[in-house]
Amino acid sequence: MNAPVKHTSDITDAEESLKLQQSQAITDSDGATELAMQNTLLTPRFYTTDFDEMDAIDVTPVRADWDDLIAQMVSDPNKGHFKKNADWDTVDWDGMEPQLKKEFIDFLVSSCTAEFSGCVLYKEMKRRGNNADITQLFQLMARDEARHAGFINDALREAGIAVNLGFLTQKKKYTYFRPKFIYYATYLSEKIGYARYITIFRHLEANPEHRFHPIFKWFEEWCNDEFSHGEAFALLMKTDPKLTSGLNVLWIKFFLTAVYATMYVRDHQRPAFHKALGVDPDWYAHEVFTKTSILSQQIFPITLDIDHPRWQRGLERLQKANVDMAGAKGLRKITAQIRAAAAFVSLFTIPSKKHQVPASVRMEPAY
Amino acid sequence: MGLLTKDIERAPCTVEISHKFESLHAHVRFNNGAVIYPGDEVQVKGPEIMAPFGEIVTEDREAVIFRASKLERLWTRLTGDLEVMELCEFSFSEEVTL
Repeated sequence: MNAPVKHTSDITDAEESLKLQQSQAITDSDGATELAMQNTLLTPRFYTTDFDEMDAIDVTPVRADWDDLIAQMVSDPNKGHFKKNADWDTVDWDGMEPQLKKEFIDFLVSSCTAEFSGCVLYKEMKRRGNNADITQLFQLMARDEARHAGFINDALREAGIAVNLGFLTQKKKYTYFRPKFIYYATYLSEKIGYARYITIFRHLEANPEHRFHPIFKWFEEWCNDEFSHGEAFALLMKTDPKLTSGLNVLWIKFFLTAVYATMYVRDHQRPAFHKALGVDPDWYAHEVFTKTSILSQQIFPITLDIDHPRWQRGLERLQKANVDMAGAKGLRKITAQIRAAAAFVSLFTIPSKKHQVPASVRMEPAY
Repeated sequence: MGLLTKDIERAPCTVEISHKFESLHAHVRFNNGAVIYPGDEVQVKGPEIMAPFGEIVTEDREAVIFRASKLERLWTRLTGDLEVMELCEFSFSEEVTL
């Protein structure tokens, strides 16, 4: 009897993975194998910010919590985690329903690009900064993002998709974000990312028959990295009370509304993905918003009233306007844009819930 | 740097591209201390740099920095924030249908 063919999932490092993939492609020349792979150019964006302002951050008021968090990140509890092991089941890409395959690949490519862009952003902050606390944090976060990107990249390779990192030789423009906008956006992105991943992970724990790809088994540790990154941004915001008071509360409300609404719209555009997971996107959205709202109370003085009657209605109107916008031209497009803007305003003007922010910021992942 | 004129600078740089399982990243470091400001454009000269899977490639290259004019820099500072939602990760692309 022949020895069982080793699957790429059995490997634990890049070299072995490459060797195995090449040996399995014996009927193909290396060049043909590369050609057969669908090429996806990663196109991260490049940013600058006010690096002097970031250098001026003083973490003294949160020093104890800060040192704890950094020590935990330095110890790198997830180091050995992003390796494929026996849990990485064989994926039947050819047997996957075509629409699901498209949506799932969109998920993998988008996630890989996001991790990759996060890595570029954090690395830039590390390089340009002069404040030892801040640069160390960004270096650690860049490490995690690059690791996640590498892991997703390998899953993409199995699906026959090669990412192309050749973007550096193309002309790219650096845009500018104010530091506080980076804090609000990335803090929320990391926390909602945690809530999204853990909700799917727990759902699939209870309903394993819906786990159509092994990558979901890695979501638990993955989201713990997201969680720590969010903690770091919460501590950064805690160093300067102005960031979470006064007019900035309106900015916070804007970011909460924009992030929740965008997530709702994007998820509803991927019905096959959610159907395969056995997840109703409306239930999922509510679940993720609830968790994110509870988490964000650690630093934000307001949360959105997601049980307000206008909330769900506004999201549905926004989603519908977005669909109409995509297929329309001229006046129809303009009308759809106005409807989308009106829906957003309706969501934004729902009175928010105010609450007391705790003295100490730190939380542990508990979902 | 003029109000409306763009300057072009050349800077030696080191490019590192990692296409490893453990880390997928790509970075450019300017070796003469050149600093990028809002609205500047950067292009690494030479052929596309590709790292085969499992490898890290490091190359010394020349980068061209197209400096934004004063007005463009100001404009980028004022309007860049509008794109800040790009920093958020939503798992899926914005395409309505695939």
